[in-house]
This record gives sequence, structure tokens and C-alpha cells, in this order.
Amino acid sequence: MILLSLAWRNLWRNTRRSVIVLTSVAIGVVATVILDTLSRGMVFQMLNNQVGSHVTHMQIHRAGFHKNPVIQSTIADSEQIENVLRSDPDIVQYSRRVVTFGLLSSATNSSGVSIVGIDPERERSLTTIRSYIVEGSYLTGAPREIVLGKALAEKLEVGLGDRVVAMASAKDGTMGSELFRVAGLFETFSSEFDKTSIYVPRSSAQTMLALGSEVSEFAMLVTDPDRLTEIAERLRGRLGEEYEVLPYMDLLPFLVLQIELYDQSMVIFYVIVGIALIFGIINTMLMSVFERIKEFGVLKAVGMKNGRILIMVLTEALFLGMLGTVVGFLVGYLVYLPLSTSGLDLSAFSGSLRSFGVGAIIYPVLTAGVITNALIIIPLMAVAGAVYPAVRAMRLEPVHAIRYV
Amino acid sequence: MTNPILQARGLEKTYEDNGVPVHAVRGIDLDVFAEDFLVIAGPSGSGKTTLLNLLGALDTPSAGHVFFEGADLSSKSKSELAYLRLQRMGFIFQAYNLIPVLTALENIEFTMMLRGMEKAERHARAQAVMEELGIAELAHKRPNQMSGGQQQRVAIARAIVTDPAVVLADEPTANIDTATGNALLDLMERMNSEKHITFIFSSHDPQVIGRGKRLLHLRDGRIDSSRG
Repeated sequence: MILLSLAWRNLWRNTRRSVIVLTSVAIGVVATVILDTLSRGMVFQMLNNQVGSHVTHMQIHRAGFHKNPVIQSTIADSEQIENVLRSDPDIVQYSRRVVTFGLLSSATNSSGVSIVGIDPERERSLTTIRSYIVEGSYLTGAPREIVLGKALAEKLEVGLGDRVVAMASAKDGTMGSELFRVAGLFETFSSEFDKTSIYVPRSSAQTMLALGSEVSEFAMLVTDPDRLTEIAERLRGRLGEEYEVLPYMDLLPFLVLQIELYDQSMVIFYVIVGIALIFGIINTMLMSVFERIKEFGVLKAVGMKNGRILIMVLTEALFLGMLGTVVGFLVGYLVYLPLSTSGLDLSAFSGSLRSFGVGAIIYPVLTAGVITNALIIIPLMAVAGAVYPAVRAMRLEPVHAIRYV
Repeated sequence: MTNPILQARGLEKTYEDNGVPVHAVRGIDLDVFAEDFLVIAGPSGSGKTTLLNLLGALDTPSAGHVFFEGADLSSKSKSELAYLRLQRMGFIFQAYNLIPVLTALENIEFTMMLRGMEKAERHARAQAVMEELGIAELAHKRPNQMSGGQQQRVAIARAIVTDPAVVLADEPTANIDTATGNALLDLMERMNSEKHITFIFSSHDPQVIGRGKRLLHLRDGRIDSSRG
């Protein structure tokens, strides 16, 4: 304890110098915490937008559909799957969908689209697409209504009430087509989604595609998204190999990969900030060691071993790093708190953000990863910065150090 | 005749000063016995501090040997010498050299802490030594709150609290006034006679020289004369 006490008190021999270094560490931590939480917020928003607006937590298809989404790969026996989902305590809500790729044409233009046939009533509590309606209304359940992205509507030069024709390959090999009337236009966070997705009543899609009562997928929400893998495994066991049960991580692999890469890149960012701070630590600790050469000589003379001297100097740096980190984290947290409710308005960049599927207002997200990155990496870098000064202290010869002037 | 606790045989030390070799100690033979109160005297540059450093395992000789309790110090590593100093020796320096951020009590406990002594025991021993040396009231004061004499008393307490075989004191009275220096010498003489602690001083102070039971006078790195 005396050694710890000694290391702590040594920090304050030159209060001004220590405060300057602490401030630089704290500022570095504040910057990284704010950047980390905002970046995580952006990434989480990307994920939540995708999951919330269309993908949902999990989907069930006929085995092989996800890799090869042909209209022939349908779920014939919906009842079997519905029985399983109704009896599973972790399934909050589910809905049946028809999904295919086709062409949507207006009088003036046409565009490739993803045609999604839904049950509007069930989809209301499953996705947030209804909240993105900017003109007209969501599907009411009336036949041959269509809801499409505003960007797509602009491309096709159609508005509310206008007619469009959807065409796609039907299950019987013929070309299915249907006339729809534009009921509503939506504008989500993703410009790409808005340009390529259309929603029609499931019954209309089934008729157009000669599916009868068959569907392409079940989309669902679960009680605890953190347990998705466990829930998916359970459903696979109950449904058998005829079906594929895919959590969103399997449905959005690039986005999930992006999140994982982001985590790694943040660690690198912290290390870069730490390296920048290291030079301040090295300078401070070197000055501190040189000021105490005589004292180190006495400590070695009375029998203090090199290892203990090394630990003492490294502990001083650890205290410096930890104190600066804690102060910086607290300040960063105080900045994070109001931002977490009001968000950061980046409207000036909304166009670019929409192409990534992110809204104009970013809400920072504080996770355990942010806390551990800040509280571990920066103090470790501080200790790394003290290694050279500590080794210099260790290598002092007591007989010369005692007489140092 | 008891065996000496410290022996020097053919001891030499040469170091370089701006490329010029300086023969600080030249062929010294010396025996130090238990309970000695030995003063190594001589003018500046005579080699007395260098000799003290060699005897205290703080420096390594260029030639010759130092034996401590029969063991040849030249066969020991730096780590082993540090251990030896911690376990069997005490040091008193000219400039007190207390750790400025520790209190008097903590300074005295420090070497016991390095030896791994339990907190309760080292606290009790430190308190006892402070009582004995009349500095108990300084326990919670830091060095910058004490006079030179008080600091040196604390340094003496630090040196003797571990019951060392020998205490080496380099110019212990150099930075304090005569009266205080006399009082400190009285103290160390009392430790020598009552607690049988062996003292080796390096000094050019007539006060110290006059108190030595044994005297070794150096000149140009050699023993010029001896008494006792």
C-alpha cells in the first residue's frame, strides 16, 4: 500500500504538470467517447431501420429460398408454421408475405422492384413502414392497392390515385401481371429501399403470381433480440430441414459485417488517440524521473529492487491514465446524456446519410463496448508510454544517482 | 578475537573523469568488527566516500575484494547486493535523502515494507524507534515540515529500525549546525553502546572524527594513518 500511496503522491509533486497531462487525456477520451457513441448510434440506426421497416427480427422460408429467391420456392403448409409460431413464447408477432422481383410500369416509365404482398393489419404491428407514409395512406386491405417509395413514384411520374402495372414471373411459368392504384407513398431512411420496394395486399400478389394460398415467407418479431440465435435454433428443431429459419444477422450479412468492422475500427481509433497521448505521457514521466534521480538512487541504495522501481513508475502512469480517462469519460457522458434524447441534427448531410439508410438526426448509443474501450485502452497506452522512463529509472546506478545534481 | 563483519582486501577503485583515470582507492586492507564505531576521515578527494560505497555494496571495486559476514561481495549479482543491503545494512546520507512525499513514519517503515514485514509489526517497530530517538511527534510530518536535524534523526531511525549488521553514514553532520550534529552523534553513540549497532562513518568533520573509537585516515586513496 505504501508503494501505491507513493505512486499516487508522486503524481502531485508537480500539480500543474500532472493537471496538464490529465486534461489532455481527458480531452482525448471525451472526443473518442462522443465519436464512438455517435458512430454506434448511426450504425444501430442503420440496423434498426432495416430491421424495423421491413426485415424484422427473423424470417422463415422454404429451404434455399434466401440464396435463390424464385417464386416456385414457396411455403405450401402455412398452418404447420403458424402452429409452431403461435405456441412459441418468444414469438411476439408474425405475418405471412409473398416476395418476388418484378417490374413496375407507369405510362411513362418502368423500374425493377421487389414486390412484397402483405397482410396490412398484421404488418402494422410488425414493421414501421406505415410510419413512413408521407402522402396518401397505408394499405387498407382493399384489393389492388399499392404503396411505393416516393423516389420510385417520382421516377415513374405517378402520384396518388394513379395506376401502375406490376409484372413478375408466376409460379405456373406464365407472366403474371396486375393493375394497382397508388394508395400511398412512403419515404424511409434508405433512398435505395424507396426506389426498389412496393407493397401490395397479399391476396392480390397471390392471385397475380398464381400462388393460391401459398406464401414466400413468415416475418416475425421476438421478445428478446439478444436471444435470436437460441430462438432460431429452437424453431429449426421444430420445423425441420424443409424450412430455413434466418435471424436478421443472416438476412443482412453486409450490415452485420459493417458493424463488426466498425467495432474493430473503433479500437484502432482509440489506439491512435492513445498513441498521440503517449508522447505527452512519455514527456511527463521522463521529466518526473529525471527530477527524482537522486531519490531513485537512495531507494536502490536501501535495497529497493529494480522490479519494484519499474512497477512504481508504471503505476504512476496508470494512475495518470485512469484518472484522465475517468474524468474524460464522465465529461463525455454528460455530453452524451442530452444528445441521447435530442439527437445530433445532421440535416446538412441528409442526402448522403439516406444512401446509407440513416436518418438526419443521429442519436448516440452508449454500450458496454464504449465503456470498456475507453476505460481499458487509454490507461494501457499510458502505461506503455511510461515503459521507457521506467526502464531509465531502473537502470540508474545508485552510487551515481545519489550524487546527481 | 571475533571475526570481522566487513573485510576489505587489496581494494582498489578507479573511475574515469572526462577520460582521465582517477584512482580513488588504492590497495586498502581493512577489517570492521561488530560494535565498531569507525570513522574514515580525510580531505576531499581522499577516497573516503568511495571506500564507504565499496564497503556498503553500492559500488564494485576495480580490484580486490570486500567480504561481508564472510561472503565475497564480488561473487554477487546486483540483485543479490540490493537484497543484502536491504536485509543487513542501513544507510545515512549527507543530504538526509528522505522520500519527500512520505511522512516521517512512512519513511521509517519503508525499508521494512520492502522486506515484506507485516503492517502492524513495522508500524510498532517504527513507533518504538521514533520514541527512542525522541522524534515521535514528527510521525505525520513530511520532510519539508522538519528541520535538518529532525530529518537526519528520521534518517537514522530509518537506518537502524531493521536491526542492521552495520550502518554506513556518509557525512551525516555535513548539512546541520554544530549543536545538532553533536546531538546526533550522541544518539548514534548511544545506539552503538546500547543496541550494539556497528557504525562506519565517512567524514571530514572534526566533531565526527573526535567521536570515533577507531579512526582511519585516508590520503590519495590510501590509508595514511589509523587509530584504535
